[in-house]
Amino acid sequence: MIAVDSTTHAAESQRPKLTSRLTEPRVYCALAALSLLLIIPAISGSTFVVHVFVTICVFGALSTAWNILGGYAGQLSLGHTAYYGIGGYTAALLLQHFGLSPWLGMPVGAVLAAAASLGIGYLCFRLKGPFFSLATIAFLEVIRLLAIHFNGLTGGSAGLVVPLNIGWAWMIFREKFNYLYIAFGLLVLCLALSLAIRNSRLGYYLTAVRERDNAALAAGVNITSVKLAAMSISAALTASVGAFHAMYLTFLEPETLFSVSTSIEVAMFALIGGLGTVAGPLLGTVLVMPLAELARGWLGASANGLHGFVYGTVLVLITLTVPGGLVGTFGRRFAALIDRLPGGGRRRSEVAARAPANISGALGAPILSARDLVKNFGGLVAANNVSLTLHRGEILGVIGPNGAGKTTVFGLLSGFLQRDAGAVEVIDRDGISRFPDTPDGFARLGVGRTFQIVQPFGKLSVLENIMIGAFLRHPKVEDARAAALRVAKLVGLEDVRHVEAGTLPIGGLKRLEVARTLATEPSILLLDEVMAGQSQADTQRMVKLIREIRDSGVSVIAIEHNMQAIMNLSDRIVVIDSGRVIAQGAPQEVVREARVIEAYLGKDFAYAQGL
Amino acid sequence: MSIFVQLIINGALLGGMYAIVSVGLTLIFGIVRIVNFAHGEFLMVGMYAAYLLSAKFGLYPYASALPVTMLLFGLGAVVQRVIIQPLLSADEHIQIFATVGLSTALMNLALLIFGADLYSVPASTAQHTITIAGLTLVIGQLAMFACALALATGLHFFMKSTVLGRAIRATAQNRNAALLMGVRVERIYVIAFGLGAACVGLASALVMPLYPVTPTIGAYFVLTAFVVVVLGGMRSMYGAFWGAMLIGLVDSLSGYYIAPDLKEVVYFAIFLVILIFKPTGLFGLGAGAEGSA
Repeated sequence: MIAVDSTTHAAESQRPKLTSRLTEPRVYCALAALSLLLIIPAISGSTFVVHVFVTICVFGALSTAWNILGGYAGQLSLGHTAYYGIGGYTAALLLQHFGLSPWLGMPVGAVLAAAASLGIGYLCFRLKGPFFSLATIAFLEVIRLLAIHFNGLTGGSAGLVVPLNIGWAWMIFREKFNYLYIAFGLLVLCLALSLAIRNSRLGYYLTAVRERDNAALAAGVNITSVKLAAMSISAALTASVGAFHAMYLTFLEPETLFSVSTSIEVAMFALIGGLGTVAGPLLGTVLVMPLAELARGWLGASANGLHGFVYGTVLVLITLTVPGGLVGTFGRRFAALIDRLPGGGRRRSEVAARAPANISGALGAPILSARDLVKNFGGLVAANNVSLTLHRGEILGVIGPNGAGKTTVFGLLSGFLQRDAGAVEVIDRDGISRFPDTPDGFARLGVGRTFQIVQPFGKLSVLENIMIGAFLRHPKVEDARAAALRVAKLVGLEDVRHVEAGTLPIGGLKRLEVARTLATEPSILLLDEVMAGQSQADTQRMVKLIREIRDSGVSVIAIEHNMQAIMNLSDRIVVIDSGRVIAQGAPQEVVREARVIEAYLGKDFAYAQGL
Repeated sequence: MSIFVQLIINGALLGGMYAIVSVGLTLIFGIVRIVNFAHGEFLMVGMYAAYLLSAKFGLYPYASALPVTMLLFGLGAVVQRVIIQPLLSADEHIQIFATVGLSTALMNLALLIFGADLYSVPASTAQHTITIAGLTLVIGQLAMFACALALATGLHFFMKSTVLGRAIRATAQNRNAALLMGVRVERIYVIAFGLGAACVGLASALVMPLYPVTPTIGAYFVLTAFVVVVLGGMRSMYGAFWGAMLIGLVDSLSGYYIAPDLKEVVYFAIFLVILIFKPTGLFGLGAGAEGSA
């Protein structure tokens, strides 16, 4: 039987204590800047200034919540006010009909909005790019029209006035400053959640999904469920803010609560500040929002349209000049300045994890079996009854001429292609036979694959790329970092670990493919032409690395065009041509087979050689 | 029964209007591969232009079709050159933000200049009705229907039979291959975007006699136009035409049989169902042909 030592050898927790973090300049500067949102209106004392700051907090919170979906996950929802409106109407209607305090209406609205977002997300996540955005707008329109139509419930276009019970229990005050406390609290809540997600496995997974969904799948990420997680958190926060804002405005109408242009504004603040950054959405709001409020306050109705015109123009200019937003473009330099302040520049100590225990088990027993796999692309039969078996602890080379169907077979063995017929059986770590059918399902069972055309997460650092793989077995960030560092050392990427992955040369990218896959700690490793584009020295190194991996108990299938390397490396060879397995056996036997020579070099050559 | 026939006729005529508004959107998406969220505001700009020409120079709205179409061609070409061109290889979300920003800016610019008031042109003939076999037809709608049909057919033959049309189609199918064949891709994009906007220009001159113009008129039409284009399979001119007919019929029938204020809910629901379950559109190319959207 197979016994797998599953201890993960977690690195010692390196997370500094909260109190000691307060002395870090990034932390105390951020807190000081945030407190200005309370201090400035407190000093000024004007109700108009208080109103402007309440609005900043509300929109900053909305934008921060939107950014969890729109920025981290890259799903550009332009119908996000649907959740804002649901939160607002839920709180207001529960108050009106049942006398329920908005403090209770707020979580009810959040739950309703999260539920609605799961339904909307489940349907809309099938769509990409602009079509996702359009579908979210369409959902918002449907909700708005329904809110107008069912005027018995919502008051319709005529609107709904919130019952004016004064006091903390009812979230309605004579003293405007009390509103600011709540708005500020909501903003802090959104920021804290956003920061926590950013620095968690979910945050890394969202970035991975945004950058490259295929590579994320190969790292075992269930794309739909991480997107839905982001969507529902974002919707629940948005609804909570909506509930408060309804109490603040005391008047609800479908046109303003379910407004497309508000949705666009919220997304716009995030873009201006920096999509996918923690501070960006609030920064964008602080910079742009007061302009609009001041114009409205000073110029009144004569300036109707002015703020929208400025918003739209700024939006276009930002896309043309600093598409990364302010934080995305200048954030790093600014942070370096901050780090010079007292207490700054502390470096996280880096500890590499120990290697996971060797995978033990009966050598030579089948661990992955493909039976009669068939895959058609239109009229082309790319895999025609392919059967092959990988034995525990062996290196199986897959060779064949260009277009033979090798990569198709890999796709079928890793779940990336849906087979038309046949079965793939994987023996998991507990020795149980399994038949996974999704790419992430294969990855979770320990089948790791690399891509022939490299799939790095271009904007993440090399180490973060490897961490995406490491999260599969190490949910905690620090453990994943340590595990990734171990793998980076193993494949020789340690020196470039902080480099943005998109800037690596092809040899480095090939090794990064291997590293990200190795970090998932697979028991079966599928390597698709990892030696192509490598120098002679790198090839030697890769051969050595693959042997070491095998010696740690991992079973390997490698597609390779570098004949010398693959013959040298493999215990057994499978030859594929025109979608069929035409030969298999020990390397030296296979190369002498007439059919193999014919497949590679043609009939005439085989004939001329007298084979 | 006669009500039903009348509703069908109304639906088809309404479809003619949606078709003429949507043709330009299809053209731009099909060639430049940009979803132009400012499409509705192009219509609004055209309608204000038609209104001004009529109010200041007494030009009959239909007579303003030519200058408005030319103006919109210019607007489209400038937008492509200045905003879209630099963003062609940018991330998709940046492209979305750019046209959304343009839409917001144009809509609010109109609000700033013209205010929220309704402006309409006194165009009696277009609003007149004729009665054939007991069925009432609005002349302006008939004109739109005829123009939509002529425009879709004309563009189809332009794309098929002229050198420029072939160059445009080649660029749409494979930008790099077209570049290697000596097609001046950037100029093709400018022309294509201009043409798409020009189609909206023609549409705005035809819509003006029937609908008063406001800053938000574009938003009113644009979502319908998106529905039509998606139904039509994004890139097909005839697909867009049939998509528009379908939406016209749904609009007319559900407005009567369900509730006037829920007709949009019905066709948005159809839109979502189709977008989600058959993303290639009802009348579109099969999946995989020409690269799916």
